[in-house]
Amino acid sequence: MPQTTIYVAPRLAGTLGTIPPAVATVELARLFGRSAALAGVSLTVEIGRTVALLGPNGAGKTTLLRILATAIRPSYGTLAIDGIDALREPELVRGRAVYLSHATAHYDDLTAEENLRFAATMFGWGEREGGEVSREALATVGLDGHAGQRVCTFSAGMRKRLALARVLVARPSLLLLDEPHAALDGDGMALVDRLIGLWKEAGVTVMVASHQAERVSSMADATVRLEGGLLAEVSGAGASAGPVGARQRPRVAVARMDR
Amino acid sequence: MKTRILGFVALAAVIGAAVNGLFVVPADLNQGDAQRIMYVHVASAWIAYASFGVTALAGLGYLIRRDLRLDALALAGAEVGVMFTAFAIWGGMMWGRPVWGVYWQWEDPRLTTTALLLALYIGYLLLRRLTDDPARRAARAAVVGLIAAVDIPIVHFSVLWWRGLHQGPTIGDPSKILNPSAPLQFVLALLAMLAAFTLVWAYLLIRRYQLARLEWQLEEDARRGLVQTARLALPGAAAAEEPAR
Amino acid sequence: MNGLRQGLAVAMAIARKDAISELRGRQAAGSTLFFAALVLLLFGFALGPDSRRLAEAAPGLLWLAIVFGGLLTMARLHQLEADDGAFEQLALYPVDRRAIYAGKALAGAAVMLVLGGLLLPIVAILYAIPIGTAWLPLLIAVALGAIGFAAIGTAYAGLTVRMRAREVMLPLLMLPVVAPLLLAAVKATAASLSGDPLGELGSWLQLLVAFDVIMLVVGAGTYGFLLED
Repeated sequence: MPQTTIYVAPRLAGTLGTIPPAVATVELARLFGRSAALAGVSLTVEIGRTVALLGPNGAGKTTLLRILATAIRPSYGTLAIDGIDALREPELVRGRAVYLSHATAHYDDLTAEENLRFAATMFGWGEREGGEVSREALATVGLDGHAGQRVCTFSAGMRKRLALARVLVARPSLLLLDEPHAALDGDGMALVDRLIGLWKEAGVTVMVASHQAERVSSMADATVRLEGGLLAEVSGAGASAGPVGARQRPRVAVARMDR
Repeated sequence: MKTRILGFVALAAVIGAAVNGLFVVPADLNQGDAQRIMYVHVASAWIAYASFGVTALAGLGYLIRRDLRLDALALAGAEVGVMFTAFAIWGGMMWGRPVWGVYWQWEDPRLTTTALLLALYIGYLLLRRLTDDPARRAARAAVVGLIAAVDIPIVHFSVLWWRGLHQGPTIGDPSKILNPSAPLQFVLALLAMLAAFTLVWAYLLIRRYQLARLEWQLEEDARRGLVQTARLALPGAAAAEEPAR
Repeated sequence: MNGLRQGLAVAMAIARKDAISELRGRQAAGSTLFFAALVLLLFGFALGPDSRRLAEAAPGLLWLAIVFGGLLTMARLHQLEADDGAFEQLALYPVDRRAIYAGKALAGAAVMLVLGGLLLPIVAILYAIPIGTAWLPLLIAVALGAIGFAAIGTAYAGLTVRMRAREVMLPLLMLPVVAPLLLAAVKATAASLSGDPLGELGSWLQLLVAFDVIMLVVGAGTYGFLLED
C-alpha cells in the first residue's frame, strides 16, 4: 500500500477558547426557480465528526453540500464553517471546506498529472512541493501508471479517482463528499473508505452524501437524513438538529429587501 | 401620494415647456421649425445619461451592500434610460431629415454614440430577462451596468476623434444650441425643457422602482410559500412549524 | 508581497493550462482560424471584385474577422471550464478572484494575438495590400486589440457560460462594448498601412491602451462576482 499523507487546515480557536462547531446552519433554504431544494435546514456538526448524509433523490443533499462549500448562496438562512460566517467571508471558508462534487471537474485535454499539478498550485503549493504531493496523491488513488495520460481517455471510475486525488492535495478542515463511491469499482470503494478513515483520524470533519446507507453509516459517527429539503432524522454523536421552528423566522441573508 | 403630486407637477411642467418651445420661442433662422425638436432631443439625451448613471451606481452599490432594493433602482434606471435613449434617437432622426437631408448621419458623434448606448442597455435588459434567480440576476446585471457605464465615455471620445481627426465639424452640430452666441430665449427654452424632463424622469424612476419592489414582493411571497409548502409536505416538520406564540 | 507572488503563480497556472488545452485541442482553435479566414473571403464576394475598394476596406474587414473569431475564442475558453463542471471548482479554490481573471484574460489575449497575427498575412494576400514595411505597428495594434477584447471577453464569457441562450447573449452584450476598440483598432491599422501621413497612429494606439487598462481594471474588479453563483 502506498504511503498517504493527509494534509489538514490549522484549527481555529473560537472566542474565549471555545471551539466553534465545524458546521452550524440556521434555517438554510434554497430555491431553484419554482421548487425549494432546501426548505429550512438547521444543523450543527461538531469538529472531527464523520456524518453520513442520506436521503432519496431530490432530498437536497447536493444542494446542502454546495451551500456549505460556498458554491451557491442560500436563498434564506445563515451558515458558519468553523465559526466563520460563510456568507460574509466565503474566501476564508474556501481554504477550509473542500468539496468533492458529482462532476469530476477535470480538463479533458490535460494529463492526469497536469490536472493535479494545477489543482496543487490552486491550493497554494509551490512548484516543487506541488509536484511531490501530486505524485503521492496519484499513487494513493492508483493512477500512478496513468499519470501522463490525457483525462479524455479515462473511464468514469478513473476520473473519480483523480477527483479524489485532488481532494488529497487540498488542506481541508471540513470535507464535503458528494457520492464519493459512485462510478467506482470494488477496489475504488474500498479506497474511499480507507481515505475517509484517514481523514477522520487526522481530525477532519467529513460529511458524506450517499445512497449506500449501510456502507457510510457503518463508519459515520452520526446520520443525517434529508427528505423534501428538510431534516427528517438526525441521530448519533456529534450532529444535532437546530430549532426547526417558526420562532426563528427565516432570516433573510441574501435577499434583503423586506424592510 | 407625494409621488402622485410629483406626477402632476411634472405633467404641467412638460406642457408648459412644450407650449413655450412650440409657440412662444421664435423659429431658428437657419433651421426653421425643425430646430424646435432640439429642445426635446437634448433633454431626452441628458435624461438618458442620468438614468444610466443611476443604473451603474445602484449596481455598484448592490455589489457592495447586497441589497436588492438597489438592484430594483438599477432596473428602473435602465428601463427609463432605454426609453429616453430611443426617444432621443427618434428626435435626432426627425431633426436630421430636414436639416441634413438624411435620417442617419454617420458623422454626427452623438447620434452614433446614442445608438450604441441603446444597444448596450437593451443587452442589459435582455440579460435580466434570461436570469431567474434574483441574487444572480442582480450581480450579473450590476457587472454589465458597470462595464457599460465605463464604456460610454470611451465610445463618446472614440467617435468624436473618429470624425474630428479627419475633417472639420459637421454643419448643424447640435452643440450650437448651447453656444453663447445663441439667443437667450433659445437657451431658456432648452433649460425649461430640461427642468420639465427632469421632473418627469424623477416621477418615472420612482414609479418604476416602486413597481419593481412590488414585483419582487410578489415573487418573494411565492418563494416563501414554496418553502412553507415543502415543510407541510413532511408531517413531522409541520408539527414543529406551529408558532409558539 | 507573498499574496502577489501567489496570485501570479495562480494566473500563470490558469493561462498555462488553457494554452495547453488550446494546443492539444488544435481542431477547435484551427476551426476558428479557418472560420475567420472564410469570413474574409466572403467579404471579398460581398464587396465585389474591385481590388481598390477591397484594399481600402481591408483594415475594417480584418478587424471584423478578428472580432468574429474572438467571440468564438472567448466562448471556447470558458466552455473548457464548463464541460466537466470545472468552473465551479475553479470558483472554490482558495485564491484571489483577480488572479483567476488575470489568468483567463492572459490566455484569451494570447490566443487572440495568434489569431490576429495569422489573419494579417491572409488579409495581405486576399486583398493585395503590402504589409511588409508596416508589420511592427500592425502587430502592436493587433496585440493591443487582443488584450482589450480579451479583457472584456473574459468577463462576459464568464457571465454567459452558465446562462440560457449564451450563444447569442455573448455577442449581443460584447459587440456594443467593443465598438470603440474596433474603431480605434481599424483606424490604427489603416494608419499603419498608409504610412501614417496624418500622424494619427499614436493617438489611436493611445486610445487602445486606455481601453485596455480601463477594461482590465473593471474586469478584474467584477469577475469574482460572476464566479459565485
